[in-house]
Amino acid sequence: MLDYSLKKFAQLFVTVFGVVTLVFFTLRLIPGDAASAMAGDTMSGEALELLREQMGLNEPLGRQYLDYLHSLITLDLGDTITTRIPVAELMAKALPVTLSIAVLTILLTVVIAIPLGTVTAYMAHKGRSRMDNLLTGFAMIVDLMPSFWTALVFLLLFSLTLGWFPASGAVTLDDPAAFLARIALPVLVLSVSQVATMARITRTAVLEILSEDYVRTARAMGWSEFRVLFRHALKNAALPIVTVIGLSFGNLLNGTVIVEFIFTIPGIGNLLITGINSRDYQLVQTLIVFYALLFVTINFATDLVYRALDPRVSF
Amino acid sequence: MADQTADLRTRARLSLPAFRQLGMLANQKVRVAFFILVPILLLTAAAPLLPLQGPLETNLGAMMLPPSIEHPFGTDRMGRDVLSRTLQGVKVSLLVGFSVALIALVVGMILGTLAGFFGGLADRAIMTVVDIFLAFPSLLLAIGLVAIVGTGLVPVIAAIAMADVPRFIRLQRSQVLSLRSRPFIDAARTVRASHGWMMTRHVIPNTVAPMLVAASIASANAILVEASLSFLGLGIMPPAPSLGNIIRDGQIYLQQAWWISTLPGVVILMMAFSLHFLSDGAREELDPRARK
Amino acid sequence: MGHPRAPQAKNRTPESHAMTLLSDVDATLLDIRDLRTEFATRGGIVTAVDGVSLIVDQGERIAIVGESGSGKSAMAMSLLRLLAHPGRVAGGQVLLQGTDLCALSERELNAIRGRIVGTVFQDPMSSLDPVMKISRQMVEPIMRVLGLDRDAARAEAVRWLDKVGIPDPERRIEGYPFEMSGGMRQRVMIAMALSCKPRLVIADEPTTALDVTIQAQIVEMLKDLTEEAGAAMMFITHDLGLVARFAHKVAVMYAGRIVEFGPVEAIFEKPQHPYTQSLLRTIPAVDALKGSRLPQIPGVPPDMRRKPDGCAFRARCAVASPRCARDEPVLAPRPGGLATACWVEGGLTAAPEAPRPRRAAATRRENRVIVEMNNLVKHFDQSGMFSARPPVRAVNGVSLRVHKGETLGIVGESGCGKSTLARLLLGLEQPTSGEIFIAGLAQMVFQDPTSSFNPKMKVRRIIEEPLVVQNWGDRAARAERVDELIQQVGLDPSFLNRYPSQLSGGQRQRVAVARALALKPSVVVADEPTSALDVSVRAQIINLLADLKAELGISFVFISHDLLTVRYISDRIAVMYLGEVVEYGPAEDVFARPMHPYTRALIDAVPIPDPRLESARHNAPLKGDLPSPLDLPEGCAFASRCPMATDLCRTDKPALKKYRTSQEAACHHAN
Repeated sequence: MLDYSLKKFAQLFVTVFGVVTLVFFTLRLIPGDAASAMAGDTMSGEALELLREQMGLNEPLGRQYLDYLHSLITLDLGDTITTRIPVAELMAKALPVTLSIAVLTILLTVVIAIPLGTVTAYMAHKGRSRMDNLLTGFAMIVDLMPSFWTALVFLLLFSLTLGWFPASGAVTLDDPAAFLARIALPVLVLSVSQVATMARITRTAVLEILSEDYVRTARAMGWSEFRVLFRHALKNAALPIVTVIGLSFGNLLNGTVIVEFIFTIPGIGNLLITGINSRDYQLVQTLIVFYALLFVTINFATDLVYRALDPRVSF
Repeated sequence: MADQTADLRTRARLSLPAFRQLGMLANQKVRVAFFILVPILLLTAAAPLLPLQGPLETNLGAMMLPPSIEHPFGTDRMGRDVLSRTLQGVKVSLLVGFSVALIALVVGMILGTLAGFFGGLADRAIMTVVDIFLAFPSLLLAIGLVAIVGTGLVPVIAAIAMADVPRFIRLQRSQVLSLRSRPFIDAARTVRASHGWMMTRHVIPNTVAPMLVAASIASANAILVEASLSFLGLGIMPPAPSLGNIIRDGQIYLQQAWWISTLPGVVILMMAFSLHFLSDGAREELDPRARK
Repeated sequence: MGHPRAPQAKNRTPESHAMTLLSDVDATLLDIRDLRTEFATRGGIVTAVDGVSLIVDQGERIAIVGESGSGKSAMAMSLLRLLAHPGRVAGGQVLLQGTDLCALSERELNAIRGRIVGTVFQDPMSSLDPVMKISRQMVEPIMRVLGLDRDAARAEAVRWLDKVGIPDPERRIEGYPFEMSGGMRQRVMIAMALSCKPRLVIADEPTTALDVTIQAQIVEMLKDLTEEAGAAMMFITHDLGLVARFAHKVAVMYAGRIVEFGPVEAIFEKPQHPYTQSLLRTIPAVDALKGSRLPQIPGVPPDMRRKPDGCAFRARCAVASPRCARDEPVLAPRPGGLATACWVEGGLTAAPEAPRPRRAAATRRENRVIVEMNNLVKHFDQSGMFSARPPVRAVNGVSLRVHKGETLGIVGESGCGKSTLARLLLGLEQPTSGEIFIAGLAQMVFQDPTSSFNPKMKVRRIIEEPLVVQNWGDRAARAERVDELIQQVGLDPSFLNRYPSQLSGGQRQRVAVARALALKPSVVVADEPTSALDVSVRAQIINLLADLKAELGISFVFISHDLLTVRYISDRIAVMYLGEVVEYGPAEDVFARPMHPYTRALIDAVPIPDPRLESARHNAPLKGDLPSPLDLPEGCAFASRCPMATDLCRTDKPALKKYRTSQEAACHHAN
């Protein structure tokens, strides 16, 4: 286990390093340079030169790279162009919001998807394929609804038409009730986008286990089907399910960008969109690196949890 | 415009006989997929001939009209016919989907085969780069790339393809790794077959089928990502219609003119759904357990 | 249990009536009447079990023998309704001490499973839950069935583990299945089944996945333990020879029906059904004349989706009569206490036995050395970046020679290095040290016919491939050679246009041989070429190889764990253990007068298809497990299991020494 963890950590480190370097260099690929791209037509001549100086674009490339790494490590992320607020501060405020949405989404998804997947697997195993096919087809449709479209439909239906949830208003953690009311729809939309995949993978995992030999052994020992499902199937299925939960978390990072945009939630995703629209490339760069690091860390943690659960590897 | 249409039609015709040869039309799922896809394709191809207002034609006297016989999908705030724009957007989506799938398939198969077959340094190098790309959630990678390269059809295709290629490389590599240890490869080695021989005669033909299935899923995914990008204002920019930016335009008028944002979304869903069904059905047919 | 015997509601079929004549009604434990099991597949309904009737008495050991497709496993699983969808029991009764199991609800049936009827399955590697401790898997059933509390149940479980020969059971019980070898896991399964004190044990191919010496241990143990507990046993297997060791009665199944049933002596001495007779003949007898061809059963087992009318065996039967094509035979009483389903009295004995054709004498063997291996060593490196692990020493100093026209047989169990040796010979692996010299080309026939070929290539291209790669001849010449080859291996040229998936296992192996012969190699290495084939088909391939050897004068290296076959086909035999050759000499001599204790143990472990001889044998099966090549001991590799081991053996590694004129053994005490 130790050997494996060390090896994986080394890979992680290489990947993180690669991510950071890749982002740094691709941003340098922008035609023109970052300063003029950011400034657009609003600045020229001396003002532009000053901006370049400020952004450190006149330094040799190697120096810029080291400065960049330094700034990442010390979390000295600069200020946004438009509002001159420190990026680190904005991120610190936006992160809890996005994380709350993500965590609540995962919880809701798990609570629905895993029992659903288990039940459909059981039915498929017994050969009751009609119900199984129906649910699978339904799940497929749900899976493929573009999340922005689902968000708009939900917004239209539950917020604008039925008025169950507010479509605008402040989003702070000081007022939990209002907070929940605001993020309820985003959480629902994101759950919808994840639940089908998780249910499908649970189903596949459980179905495969149900046809394993040791399940037959358990039945031959006289355990009831219900007991066998719990005693053996779920424990063995926990392994791939943990993987899919980790994967889900990663996919959520995609989805939060869209729902925050549509429901005007001040999270990290919205920050990213703002950054792109205001051509604040430093901000965009920082956020993308952040997202990537988060993604990679989640995958790494999932992998370790998986390994820890599997006694075959822990020894 | 006409060239693009003819292009799409030819592509569709080329693929059908190939499928028939494989007997796939016998599969129910594949039939359902075709049942949905073919009418969409036909409608799209026939769009210029239909009695519809052109996609870019504005008509300020007919703004924000609900769906009717004259305008089956209604009109938007500039009086443009939404169905017409939708069909044009479908063309874009299909083009993006097909292109991305093709690029990912070709690049993925080449690099994946090399990585899996030769192992060693080449493998480590390719997989390290793959890991780095896979470190980004796919939509965000596309967003990031578009932010640099700019918007438009080609950048969007490139960005989405760049996000998909690593997955294809990984898939192909794992297939190649498992094939490499099979006895028929050993048998070829005992008669001193060259690497090229083993790769082209033995490895690649046995990997094509699952890769095609993955490609059709990737094309569905590309359609969704392009729509998301255009929705966020980062993909195809108006006035050129894309399913995503049509929906974006309708966002502000969600309550008053719901049809602008909702109906094109249904079309996206139908395309993605039928492509998935196609790949599911194809996978079923290719499953060796089903072989007689 | 104490259920009153149910009144005979249904009339007995003639078959089940025949069965009752063979048993003592009062002692009846299990009465299967006209059992029918179906599988609904995409290609149609497969009737896997087609009207099977059978009686098992208390304490009786019955063997069910059949090949793949015979329905034996399906029948066993049907008894306790352990079939998975799409299989289901379609008809018949299964009366266990009077109660019809088929009529019970799932809950009622659960009271019988594990408690009255215990099961031991085939594959010990997958039959235990990998993420659950052994203790939990054993203790909870004991608690439930015997009503003991946790501590008492655990003590009982440990006692049983000890009984089945698991060393250090107190510690092992807290471990996980993956920490054990296949043989040990199977013992655990047996302990699990027997600890609940069942009246009947169903063992479905319990030894098929195990090595020969381990197999002998397990069979012996099952026999002793069930006898001690007074439990009956239903042992399912494809190995007819194995059966003679322990069975009281034998049922032979073919195409979903029982074709012959009776006391074990009668089955082996005077079988009446042509299938049983043929099966017995295909086993290379201990005293078989090498010059004569192995009798083989032509054809293949039938496709159970489209069962033929009449007798299912008639396509392969030498004495089939017109009636056999019309009416399906039913079990009827025969002399010797047998029940046989055949219209022809006496089966094959009705037809005068054709004199077994003699094989053309092999071309005179020259003394030219074709293959020479000197001190061949192959170690596989296992260390990771952060850990240092000892290498796997697969081959540890092997020196052998193969002469022109000679067949060298290599025998050993798993982990002995024989497969690695084959790969070294073919250049698929590079030796860590030592040298190989081959005069000419070496080719190989692989074990698994399903993965030996590129599924996308037709047979013609498969056989042609070596020629194309080596730029042999032009297209016309190659086509001619391919035609020549396909006929040489006994297949019709029409097979050339088929895909491997359309061929049977035996046919595929023939194609593999054709491919191996394409470039006229000087030596062909066959690595377990028949292990994956049905018993009735094995003889076909062995005969083919022996014929080719005689015709073409090719040298062969025949690798197998099947001693009888190796002895039949080889001129010389090398016995391998843990990467070393422990004995080497002419096949006859090694078999008749083995010098190394391991060779002796191997020979003892081979089941002889003769019940009287078997019961007279005083077998002390070899103790202990096969050690792993990761952990090689200092002295003689075999010392840990050797009945004759002394201190010298444990410290000093013996080298191959000549003891008789042409026999060598690596042992300090070979007498």
